[in-house]
Amino acid sequence: MNTKRAMSFALVVGVLTVCGPLFAHHGNAAYDTGKTIILKEATVTKFVWANPHTFIMFDVKDDKGNVLHWVGESGSPASLSLLGWSKSALHPGDLITVYIYPSKNGNPVGRLNKIVLADGTTLKDSALGYRDPE
Amino acid sequence: MRNLLMFPLIALTALTTFSSVALAQEVFQRPGEPEQRPPSLYQKIQGTGPGGPAPRRDLSGSWAGPLEPKPGVVPPMTALGESRFKLNIPDPFSAHSNDPWATCDPFGFPRSATNETRGISFAQMPDRVVIMTQYQKVWRQVWMDGRELPKNVGAKGGPDSRWYGYSVGHWDGDNTLVVETTGVDDSTWVDRRGYPHSVEMRIEERYTRVDHNDLELTVTIDDPKIYTKPFVIATNKFKWIPNQEDEEQLCVPSEAISYLNTVAIPASQDRATDKK
Repeated sequence: MNTKRAMSFALVVGVLTVCGPLFAHHGNAAYDTGKTIILKEATVTKFVWANPHTFIMFDVKDDKGNVLHWVGESGSPASLSLLGWSKSALHPGDLITVYIYPSKNGNPVGRLNKIVLADGTTLKDSALGYRDPE
Repeated sequence: MRNLLMFPLIALTALTTFSSVALAQEVFQRPGEPEQRPPSLYQKIQGTGPGGPAPRRDLSGSWAGPLEPKPGVVPPMTALGESRFKLNIPDPFSAHSNDPWATCDPFGFPRSATNETRGISFAQMPDRVVIMTQYQKVWRQVWMDGRELPKNVGAKGGPDSRWYGYSVGHWDGDNTLVVETTGVDDSTWVDRRGYPHSVEMRIEERYTRVDHNDLELTVTIDDPKIYTKPFVIATNKFKWIPNQEDEEQLCVPSEAISYLNTVAIPASQDRATDKK
């Protein structure tokens, strides 16, 4: 009986596993979109303008002075182009301010809300970038 | 044992239905999460109006579509269909998936019309219509010269199955192009949800140009080996692109691998390691 119940449960879990990802276009499921972290004086190390999603790699110092290597995910090039981004929007060495929804697992990975360039230009992300951070 | 199996079956039906509803929305919203608005050219040109009457039997030009179409409700599958469906694990950007999308394999047809549908173009020639899909720059030849679809595709002595099968078409009235397709390689999925098909599957696309600027599509699958009845797998709407400039959108294997390793897996290691 217990084996049968376990099998039944396992099947439901399996189905949930399959169905869960369908709710999002892709990605995002792992991010805490309820809070925005603001990372100032972030130094861009790499800007990957690519499908399915663009991402920015950048370094930020924490309050103890340790350098953290972050990855910020953003939308597809097609979506971001409509919001004023381009392949040449960022270069290694650029200093930017990053508004980001962190991953739930605590890794220095997140989904961008928006970034602000040194000249004050704001580039919003295509998914949640219209929402003002709290 | 029977009763115990009923619960997963009911849960499967309910979840599949719910997933379909979620996908049907123009925006992709998870319960309890804020609304997302992926901007697309399609959304941007919504205000262009009808632009006058549709020209007669003419779809030529470039059209923008939504990221994803409205998915259809899938009927009960046959035993073979169920066993094939269980093997397919969607969500290409998680570690445990076996979606061919993860490695940028060809979508095949009809997945090219049910997934990443941001753009479609038509070119008409005297004996055929070429349908070009923006995503992966895929083109399909639809013969309009009255020939029949090949028979026994994949069987001994018959033609080989292909990623995008074999297509013939005809006009139904002045504004609807009807395309029939068969002979699609059965390793492809019919949509991102992982639904399977056989090589014998017949697919009908009906493109109706409602007015100059609006095009509607219904995709119907008939595959008795896998599904207990014919059904609409997706319906979609396209808008005439005012300046006729296509976007470029490609799935690039090295970029997909880099995205998976740099972003998707680090962002969801707990999810990824909990499974398998």
